[in-house]
Amino acid sequence: MITLLKLELEKLFRARSFYLSFIALIAFVALMLWGFYTYAARKTGGEAVEQFKYTYESKQYFNGLTFALYSLLFSFTLLLPIFVSMSAGSQIASEARAGTLRMICTRPISRASLILSKFLVSAFHAGLLLTFFIGLNLVIGLIFVGWGNLELYPGPLNLVDVPGKIMRDEALMRFGYAALSGTWALLVVAALALLCSVIFDSPVQATVMTIAAYLTLYIIGRVEFFEHLRPYFFTTDMDFWRDVFKPDIPWQSLWHYACVCGAYTTGLLLATVLIFERKDIVT
Amino acid sequence: MWVKLILLLLFCLMILGAVHFAPPRESGEPSSSAKVVHSLRLLTWNIGYAELEDDTRAHDKDLTAVAEVILRQDPDAVALQELTGNAQLNILLSLLHGKYRGAVAQQGKTDRFEAVLVKDTGATFIPVAVGGRYALGASFKPREATRQVLLLSAHADAFNAARRRTYTEALIDWAQARAQSSEVFIAGDFNFELKAANETNLYTDNLKHDSESYSHILRYFRDLGRAAGDTAINDRRIDYIFGPPALAQIGRVEVLRDAAVGRMDHWPLLVEVGL
Repeated sequence: MITLLKLELEKLFRARSFYLSFIALIAFVALMLWGFYTYAARKTGGEAVEQFKYTYESKQYFNGLTFALYSLLFSFTLLLPIFVSMSAGSQIASEARAGTLRMICTRPISRASLILSKFLVSAFHAGLLLTFFIGLNLVIGLIFVGWGNLELYPGPLNLVDVPGKIMRDEALMRFGYAALSGTWALLVVAALALLCSVIFDSPVQATVMTIAAYLTLYIIGRVEFFEHLRPYFFTTDMDFWRDVFKPDIPWQSLWHYACVCGAYTTGLLLATVLIFERKDIVT
Repeated sequence: MWVKLILLLLFCLMILGAVHFAPPRESGEPSSSAKVVHSLRLLTWNIGYAELEDDTRAHDKDLTAVAEVILRQDPDAVALQELTGNAQLNILLSLLHGKYRGAVAQQGKTDRFEAVLVKDTGATFIPVAVGGRYALGASFKPREATRQVLLLSAHADAFNAARRRTYTEALIDWAQARAQSSEVFIAGDFNFELKAANETNLYTDNLKHDSESYSHILRYFRDLGRAAGDTAINDRRIDYIFGPPALAQIGRVEVLRDAAVGRMDHWPLLVEVGL
């Protein structure tokens, strides 16, 4: 199993898409920085003060932690799942496309171990991506925007019902928690992509099907017509990771949704193993 | 085989964990605290209709039902929104058998009026100019031993968050200036859209304006009806009663969800506080 993991990690580090995902995230952070910087300058300048008498958007509000939080929340829903789908969706299908899957399966390793090692590598990639992204945002935020406490207000980001504040050191800890809870949530997408990778022989097809399923549920979950279906979508449960940014973390609810996501992940993995074991590999 | 067993075991553990940590179900009972206090009971209600109707203001045929709810709940003061004018107020007052006195706000740029009904016969009504709109205040004493109470009936713009923000800022300035001499309560339909999940975009100016408005109110007042939940159709909490932050006790807080008649899209919000 360890050897298998080492080999899969080697493949991951050799893949061009691995580095592409990090470059895309760097580009996103640069774009966010530009948007945040100009917005902050506008909102703390004369224009905003002339139009309205009171605002919480001050120089104190616009700091590196606020920047990192906005950047993370904006990207998590739509950007990170794409890279996780790409990484996990290509695990089996790309081997099948390259004609190496048949050879791997003739070796004395169980198909279940192969799936597990490929999933663990995908999970590692998801964790690394998220940790890198959070770290980069915090560093960029510190250098270009400056430190401060994390101030939260009802409405934007949908995190609190009443204005709240997380002190700087505690907020940094919360970003650490977010790396863990966010990775755990992303594992559902990774497991789904791995299942698609077993079902479809093309990595592109596997990735697109995963993203399509994810986006369909995400969009349907935002439309009021399907309000009653919303609790049954994994995309709804995945949202639990954000709770670590609430001033008082709702631990019970957080554990509940973490377990629901865990059930999705392990259930999908189990299905993947069962399908892959019965799959006739002809390429 | 061991991989499948581990996955199966983990799957079962996750299911068990999800069941174990499931948040307790909310009871169907109305939200209220165990300790009921009767010092001051306030009710706010936008009695207008949903946008689907030709005339979305209050309808005369519903006033009997409105009066019945008021008489049954017996509040000390009532803030109403979207009345058609004085004539409608007079019908309502007569249906209340003289138990309440009332007034409507001056006409602003809109075709609908805010109103306040008060039990106290010594109450005085104060027009409040807020930009292009008018709110209405009523100053009264609910009990002999209590301080003077000032209740404002407000209705912020339904379609423009920037206008809601300007309105809220002016209203809070006005109320703040009177907070020393009276216990100030602000009740009404503010139309704040604070649930980001309802927005199709991740971050909008509208959402931010409503966030700024609501946060500004909370700097000086307490949101007394928060625990009671949605006050209008489509899961919206847009009707509020704000009170002094240092209130001694909050008793019953309830949205009366069986009170709406006709095509009304709001439910009354009732709050009891100890002064």
